[in-house]
Amino acid sequence: MVATTGLPAPETTRPRSLLVGTMFSCAAAFMFFCGVIGVYILKRAEARGEGAEWFPEGAVELGPSGFIFWTLVLSVFTVQWAVQAINADDRVNAYVALALTGLFGAAIFNQMWFIINDTGFALAADNAQFLFFVVNGTFIVFLIAAVVFVALTTVRALAGQFGPRRAEAVSSAAVAWNTVVFMWAVVYYLIYITK
Amino acid sequence: MTMTDSPPAADTALAATSPRVVGLFDALTTTDHKRIGRLWLRAGLLGLLAATLVGVVLTIENSNSSPDDVFGGVNNYFQYLSLHRFGLVLLVAAPLFVGLATVVVPMQVGATNIAFPRAAHGAVWLFMIGAVITVVSVLSGGGWGALDGVNGTERDAIALTLVGTGLVIVSLLAASVCVATTVVSLRTSGMNLMRVPLFAWSMLVATGVWLLTLPVALSNLVLVYFDLRGGPGTFGDAQGSDAIYSQIAWLVEQPQIYAFAIPVLGVLGTIAPVVAKRRHAQHVIAVALIGLFGLLSVGGWSQPWFQGSNYDEKFVFIVFGLFAAVPVLGSIGAAADTIVGRASAGDPDSDASAGGESGLAGLSSVHGLGAIGAALLLLAGTVAGLARVIQPWDLGDRTTVTSVMNLVLFSAVAAAIAGIWFWAPKIAGHELAVSTGRLVMLDIVAGAVLLGGADFVSGFLEAPAFGYRVVGSSASLMAEPSNQSLIEVLNVVGAIGAVLIALGVLGVFAAMAKAMRSSEVVDDNPYGGQTLEWTTSSPPPPGNFSEPPGRVVSEAPLLDTVNENGEEA
Repeated sequence: MVATTGLPAPETTRPRSLLVGTMFSCAAAFMFFCGVIGVYILKRAEARGEGAEWFPEGAVELGPSGFIFWTLVLSVFTVQWAVQAINADDRVNAYVALALTGLFGAAIFNQMWFIINDTGFALAADNAQFLFFVVNGTFIVFLIAAVVFVALTTVRALAGQFGPRRAEAVSSAAVAWNTVVFMWAVVYYLIYITK
Repeated sequence: MTMTDSPPAADTALAATSPRVVGLFDALTTTDHKRIGRLWLRAGLLGLLAATLVGVVLTIENSNSSPDDVFGGVNNYFQYLSLHRFGLVLLVAAPLFVGLATVVVPMQVGATNIAFPRAAHGAVWLFMIGAVITVVSVLSGGGWGALDGVNGTERDAIALTLVGTGLVIVSLLAASVCVATTVVSLRTSGMNLMRVPLFAWSMLVATGVWLLTLPVALSNLVLVYFDLRGGPGTFGDAQGSDAIYSQIAWLVEQPQIYAFAIPVLGVLGTIAPVVAKRRHAQHVIAVALIGLFGLLSVGGWSQPWFQGSNYDEKFVFIVFGLFAAVPVLGSIGAAADTIVGRASAGDPDSDASAGGESGLAGLSSVHGLGAIGAALLLLAGTVAGLARVIQPWDLGDRTTVTSVMNLVLFSAVAAAIAGIWFWAPKIAGHELAVSTGRLVMLDIVAGAVLLGGADFVSGFLEAPAFGYRVVGSSASLMAEPSNQSLIEVLNVVGAIGAVLIALGVLGVFAAMAKAMRSSEVVDDNPYGGQTLEWTTSSPPPPGNFSEPPGRVVSEAPLLDTVNENGEEA
């Protein structure tokens, strides 16, 4: 204690710019998503209040969307694995985890494509089908953005730019990824479970 | 976002080697926040000039009792009116504050550059592209809906307007991320959030509110766009109505309109202590009041899709309207305490004991006049907003709405221009003419009072929000008010106000042109500023500071005496 009294105060440790910027961007993206989802909920409530059918019976199946949900749950583990690995300077594990996360993203895109084709919906049919496309389309756009973020982070990790003292980009990619996963949890519940 | 991040070391290296080259190449490639900010300011000022000229024509058209139709039909009138309204928010107020913040905020927090400088630069060009698309599409028959029916070409033009508006919003969001991240993560040593200069703090609050609300507007636009482009036709409703405008009008109405004036309180809080030549008397309270005003300006929820067409009768809407004036009044009180209370306070930081000029005398400066005038306009706007939510008065569809918009937005314009005058040595290395500046401020404040005041009174005379000319041409809107002759007189008063504002805006351009020809050397701190941007030269060098700022121990670092260990003496 005595030895430290004459020392100047330590420098303030600021939150890291990329992480903070990613959080702000994710907040904005989530508010966009809320804007779309809010309209979906209200229009569905209006239609049901009038006694009308929202989706045609059997058109929206639970199975394929459940695969997406569980794939995304797995990807949460892989992206956090990447963060942990880069913090531990375990590059091999970080590469594997980031690559797996990106792969899961590509798989989800493939499953989304299947779902949209499987429903046979048309954009102009009615409010329900229109909003189905807009909500899922919004999710796909943010999914693509998150996959690109993870891919760029992987490339930079392969180039040796990250390590225990510079893991910010991987953490930021994880924040973006987890935001997209949370979006799907909302979509899954509202569109596929409660329809 | 990832690829635009530059580590601090790279910023420093860039700052050390960045040449002082100007021109198109520089404008296209720069990562210097001051140059990026100047691009925003030029864009915002051009938008202001165009918007005020359109505003003059609109008010003259409104004040004209003969059936002459300047715009060639009620639909064109509607398009220009909506362009004027959205333009004042998205193409004038927001970019002016983003421009000021992009130049000033990094210096105020002691940073060498803005966070994500390439994203900030990309945002300004995206903004310009979006603004051009918006304006050109409106001039080509687009806009936010059509009152007299839609043909195929108009449908395309309307869709293009939505794309342009969306691009503008995306660019403002990107710029908001850069500004907010700068305040949060690039502050210099010792500068906690309570020590952040009030302008930087107000920009953090404003950009935070924009990041939470503008995406909701963007989602509205996306839904309408895809509905127009092959949807069921229940969202865009482009068969001949103002439905699109009505859906996104929450952007230009209370409480959301206040979000574009949050930095007015920051400009006031930064300039008042400089005028008084002492510390801000109520800095912590001012910080809290700006935060409260930000909270009361979150407006994404108050839209027809979420609340129904009677959203302005909902409890939360009324509460927001009732209390919005409180933080503004409190901020003005805190500034008054700083300025007027100096003589009796016996503050050791004050120049009073040394025989310096009084705080009240400092009010005659351009920035002092502008900051106080802007704050009073904002107070008038929030009071008009308070009147609007008093249900028995039933002012929701009247010109009271326009009154709130004009008072609040021109308070933002006045504050931004006061900021441009105040920080001109740091923005461009010039001081702007004081005599012209006083005239500009008086013109804009007086013009806004006439314009907003006339609309406010007209609201009580049942003048409809879209202007009575539209009422005469569209049976679907309100019936013609009974006291039309008095409304016409008030419209003439409003037109005089619009002309005064336009003269003031022309004065801004005249002062800037004069300053550009000047070769006068400017002091580093000509007004006795108290925050870090005044520690550097005018204009600042690339990288802002020749030496990193020392440890900050208060919100007014230039009034502090700090020893080499970073302890206050």
